[in-house]
Amino acid sequence: MGVTCVSQMPVAEGKSVQQTVELLTRKLEMLGAEKQGTFCVDCETYHTAASTLGSQGQTGKLMYVMHNSEYPLSCFALFENGPCLIADTNFDVLMVKLKGFFQSAKASKIETRGTRYQYCDFLVKVGTVTMGPSARGISVEVEYGPCVVASDCWSLLLEFLQSFLGSHTPGAPAVFGNRHDAVYGPADTMVQYMELFNKIRKQQQAAAFME
Amino acid sequence: MADVINVSLNMEAFSQAISAIQALRSSVSRVFDCLKDGMRNKETLEGREKAFIAHFQDNLHSVNRDLNELERLSNLVGKPSENHPLHNSGLLSLDPVQDKTPLYSQLLQAYKWSNKLQYHAGLASGLLNQQSLKRSANQMGVSAKRRPKAQPTTLVLPPQYVDDVINRIDRMFPEMSIHLSRPNGTSAMLLVTLGKVLKVIVVMRSLFIDRTIVKGYNENVYTEDGKLDIWSKSNYQVFQKVTDHATTALLHYQLPQMPDVVVRSFMTWLRSYIKLFQAPCQRCGKFLQDGLPPTWRDFRTLEAFHDTCRQ
Repeated sequence: MGVTCVSQMPVAEGKSVQQTVELLTRKLEMLGAEKQGTFCVDCETYHTAASTLGSQGQTGKLMYVMHNSEYPLSCFALFENGPCLIADTNFDVLMVKLKGFFQSAKASKIETRGTRYQYCDFLVKVGTVTMGPSARGISVEVEYGPCVVASDCWSLLLEFLQSFLGSHTPGAPAVFGNRHDAVYGPADTMVQYMELFNKIRKQQQAAAFME
Repeated sequence: MADVINVSLNMEAFSQAISAIQALRSSVSRVFDCLKDGMRNKETLEGREKAFIAHFQDNLHSVNRDLNELERLSNLVGKPSENHPLHNSGLLSLDPVQDKTPLYSQLLQAYKWSNKLQYHAGLASGLLNQQSLKRSANQMGVSAKRRPKAQPTTLVLPPQYVDDVINRIDRMFPEMSIHLSRPNGTSAMLLVTLGKVLKVIVVMRSLFIDRTIVKGYNENVYTEDGKLDIWSKSNYQVFQKVTDHATTALLHYQLPQMPDVVVRSFMTWLRSYIKLFQAPCQRCGKFLQDGLPPTWRDFRTLEAFHDTCRQ
């Protein structure tokens, strides 16, 4: 697992999500990237059941259960600022058994699907984020395979992102700052995806509120 | 000397064991002959039976004796492979089809040729160093005379010396660790780990570097058996490029008289790769060129350049 950066691409002015995705993929193909199949990352939210909360009425914590097609045999479970658990796919079945403690939030499933591109040692995944039937945004993930220390190759990643995202290049992800010389792992990628999904959900809520 | 004595002892016991096998075979065939002939004609039935049983017992005893003799001799013969001084290449010589696959004789010729080449190169470099082109030739001339004329061939160095040199280099740089192993005979194989950036497998021949393979920090360098994998290339294009550069480097750093200096300079050059992903190209200032970071390190100044940007 190399260092990965997950960011959101804002939808272009006057264009739909689909068209922006097509613009991006065309830019990538012009750069020389090869298409290599599809990918999917999805996320379900659970909150701690009311029965387990103390009488003080402390707020329940939100738990996210995510899957990544890059690791088909694994399941990731993480809390917002807490630890990330990497388990195998039987974890989903376990969640069903833990219905008493964790309850699924209504209509909470959010996922991103799209195509993978390979350019030299870079793996680029451009996906459409959907919540239910409607598309809500665009996610861009870039992984640089050879490097495993985040602080080492951020400048290199930035240069590559600029070459095809142009002005929409993101800043350094928060996870890069936390782990200075530690080896980058898949858990960090899932944390980035979780933050992206939360941001999109907030945008959605704000938009709904405005209307 | 001891090897020769052991070999002759084995040969004696070996030939005795072969004759013991022949004796055993004949005694066993005697048993079956006796069974086949059946009872000899004697006056009474008892007499016939007794004679038959006595004959049969005699034959079985002789079989037993021969078998014990054979067991004793086989313990003496021992394992031939333990005294095999040639290891894997000697097994090639056991191939009987010499006309179609003369591998072993070709191998011996190639080995002798490369040894002779090494020796001649050493002599030539000694002579050439005496005829220095520099004006201040006095220092070089004096040391050339002080150096022994008959240069011992640096191809046959004791493994302990090689270990010492490598250990000293290991302690030179804190971010570089070198692990030495000898899985295939006397040639050393080093696994150099440079920070968290890359791993290099260096195959050596006494103190000369033969081949290098550069792989990523998270890539697997061992085969399924747990041995060091010295053949498979890296999965990443950047490390395949660095492997090519490392091969160029080991061809560049050459000094037949002082191989430890060569290894030291190679390791110093390799150490400059600790900033493989952080250093921009000195010529164009960018990080990426065709998707690759600056992979070339100048041999003298150790500056980073893209492969296409170097002079």
